[in-house]
Amino acid sequence: MSMAEPSQGNWARRFTLEALIKSTQQLELVQFVSLLTLFLAVTFPFDHWLFIITARVCLFLFLIFPIIIRKPAFWAALALSATVVTILEWATTDNHKYLLLYWLWVVVFCHAAVDPDQKRRVLVFNARFFLCFVFLAAVAQKLSSPSYRSGEMFEYFLYCDPRFTAFGKLVGIDPKVADAVQKILDFFKSPFSQVINNELLLPGTDRARIVALALTFWDISLQSLIGVLFLWRRTFTDKIAHLLLLFFVFTTYLPAPVFGFGWILAIWGLILAKDRFPKISAAYFISFPAILLYQLPWREWVLGMNS
Amino acid sequence: MNGSSDQPDHQLGFFRYSSRALIICMPIVALVIAARQVYLSNYHGLAVWKGGGMGMFASMDGQANRFAQLFITQSDGTRQPLTHLLRVQKDAIDNALNYPVRRNFLAVAKSIATIEWASSPERMPVVLIDSKGEPAGRASESYHMMAPFRPRSRDEKWKGNIQIEFWKMSYNPLTRTCHATLAQTFAFTPDEVQQ
Amino acid sequence: MKSATSARTSVISRRQSASGSPTGRPFVGSSKFGALIEFARNLDLFETVSLLTLVLTVIFGFDHWLFHIVARICLLVFILWPRSLRTPVFWLALALTGAITIILTWELVDNHKYLLDYWLWVLFMVHLFAQPQRQLRIILFNARFFLCLTFLAASAQKLASPSYRSGEMFEYYLYVDPRFAAFGKLIGIDPSVGEAVKKRTMFLRSPFAEVQGNDIQIVGSNRARVAALMMTSWDASVQLAIGLLLLIRRQRTDQIAHILLLFFIFTTYIPAPVFGFGWILAVMGLTLAKDKFPKIGAAYLVSFFAILLYQLPWREWVLKS
Repeated sequence: MSMAEPSQGNWARRFTLEALIKSTQQLELVQFVSLLTLFLAVTFPFDHWLFIITARVCLFLFLIFPIIIRKPAFWAALALSATVVTILEWATTDNHKYLLLYWLWVVVFCHAAVDPDQKRRVLVFNARFFLCFVFLAAVAQKLSSPSYRSGEMFEYFLYCDPRFTAFGKLVGIDPKVADAVQKILDFFKSPFSQVINNELLLPGTDRARIVALALTFWDISLQSLIGVLFLWRRTFTDKIAHLLLLFFVFTTYLPAPVFGFGWILAIWGLILAKDRFPKISAAYFISFPAILLYQLPWREWVLGMNS
Repeated sequence: MNGSSDQPDHQLGFFRYSSRALIICMPIVALVIAARQVYLSNYHGLAVWKGGGMGMFASMDGQANRFAQLFITQSDGTRQPLTHLLRVQKDAIDNALNYPVRRNFLAVAKSIATIEWASSPERMPVVLIDSKGEPAGRASESYHMMAPFRPRSRDEKWKGNIQIEFWKMSYNPLTRTCHATLAQTFAFTPDEVQQ
Repeated sequence: MKSATSARTSVISRRQSASGSPTGRPFVGSSKFGALIEFARNLDLFETVSLLTLVLTVIFGFDHWLFHIVARICLLVFILWPRSLRTPVFWLALALTGAITIILTWELVDNHKYLLDYWLWVLFMVHLFAQPQRQLRIILFNARFFLCLTFLAASAQKLASPSYRSGEMFEYYLYVDPRFAAFGKLIGIDPSVGEAVKKRTMFLRSPFAEVQGNDIQIVGSNRARVAALMMTSWDASVQLAIGLLLLIRRQRTDQIAHILLLFFIFTTYIPAPVFGFGWILAVMGLTLAKDKFPKIGAAYLVSFFAILLYQLPWREWVLKS
């Protein structure tokens, strides 16, 4: 049997959009989701040796015995190690890592079910539940937070959070503003300086204020729409929800480097869209490599550019 | 292969009888944990980014606006600040700032107590800063600069208390002022920090 | 297009049943290790080596954003389209990225990472050719070459180094290198010895202390000295033996070389956390042994598993006990 791939000449035909749509339709859902979840566990794992080793061993076993990915015990190993890690470090584990934990257990239950319809139902129900939960709970926590509602949170992050400095530069906020703010705030932190009345005037800008208000409004509207639309469970509302979710995934994870979160949202979206909206599921398919590409150090490039 | 309805139901047989349990199990767990996170965030200072809620980018209160000041205090009441911290101590502080309970700051204090600290012979004055960030004179206090010198032997006893001040900053976008508030002070005795 | 895993699974099943027992269940009546040997014998060499190398790039790859991204994309592509593993472009992407990373950060890159990039280029060249015989020749030649190069060059550099030959290198590491503190404790060197040495040497480093003559006595222990001398002679001997035996290219010497190499992998990467290096040595060893020595091939498979488990924080457990 020839080892080399003889079909290089077919590549151009293979990579048309129709071919992509057709490919995603032909993939078996449970299998596809299992593969993407395994990838998530290996690439964006819990930051703890127990889970990292378990994920790597599982990846090794899968590559040597591919059929193992259908065994509940395979997923139970991942889910159990994730549970142990989360219990040990519950206060320092990011919220989206809890979602990974829940999802691993969902995949365990999916593979524990015998009937293929049952497997599918486990995935579809939980995908919709968690999408609604994530967005509606986020909206609830944001709306109940005065610092969010007033726009001060995003404005403060534009000044103080290094992840936002490059984004700020792209929307016309000079990085020097952020530098100046952080310099001033260091007076609070240093025991060798005492700030009178514990109050400092920050050298902020009107542009940052406007951008913060725009971000606040956009963020809350988008997330509440996605959550509410998925709750309806109608074809039309689902379609709009998917488009908004795709927009969210493609735009949010460029400035916000929480890639594991974007990945799992894309998995859930794909589960709901795969058999009903072929073009949308192809778009989810593309979102996975896009999330990987978002790890490029674009912030350093932007900040290194002459303005 | 998998999926045949003729296949014996030996996989997790319990769930044969409660197939719905398979489906709704994790949503229930998620809701319970999220409720707990909301409670801890509101009443015990847990950062909204952690603990299983959905509060990412939901509040200013988190790692970005919290900081700690660490001091070694002597029996005569004087205290010296610790500003040159090792990586492991900074990590411990970051953990404690996420969930500012005594237990977590004790871990910071224990980490401090594993090191011998050397102080500078001269005292450095504390500068008064006005609201514009400009120097406005000298405060009455002055401190020695402390730096980590070497690991302390396990059989050597740690002397002095360790005091950790937990601060929070808030921002008023209308006046563009940032205000710092001392949220809590933790004091640890030598017996507590001795490893 | 078939589901990705189904395609791989059916190929593997056909391969295994083709060489399995008439019952179609090759493991009936075998012990577990016998089943593993049978399994290892039936693996496709190129696919297995390619998969193990892919795992290496993802888990123990270059510490650079460019390589991380490319390796992850390659893994994703493979998971969704397994046949991509056999295309030269797949390996070219990894090899080229590795090369760029090395060029950009050459003086910071560990030696064993250079080995990874050479191996990626070897796999690229292997997949350029369609004829299995030619592919086999390329991969076998390079596996042997790099194993000989690694061990003989290492032996040469060690034997040319006075601080190595005298045993002072290992003795010093037993005192000051945190990776050796737990190993030292296991062989009876109290961690307080290392702490006392570090305390003394801090005086040499501190600008607030001036040591007369820049000479300071350190406490040390006889046990550490003896252990260091033993590690020195063991390390140099094993590595030299492996390199020389593989150079001879006879069945008997190869067999002994593989046993020594397995011993080296199983013992070295517990104290020395250079897992990527152990992994690539095991890949090369498996390449040479898989078809000639099935039991040894099975042992190499176990070694991969062991290397993953060696990442357990056993040092912290030992030091805390």
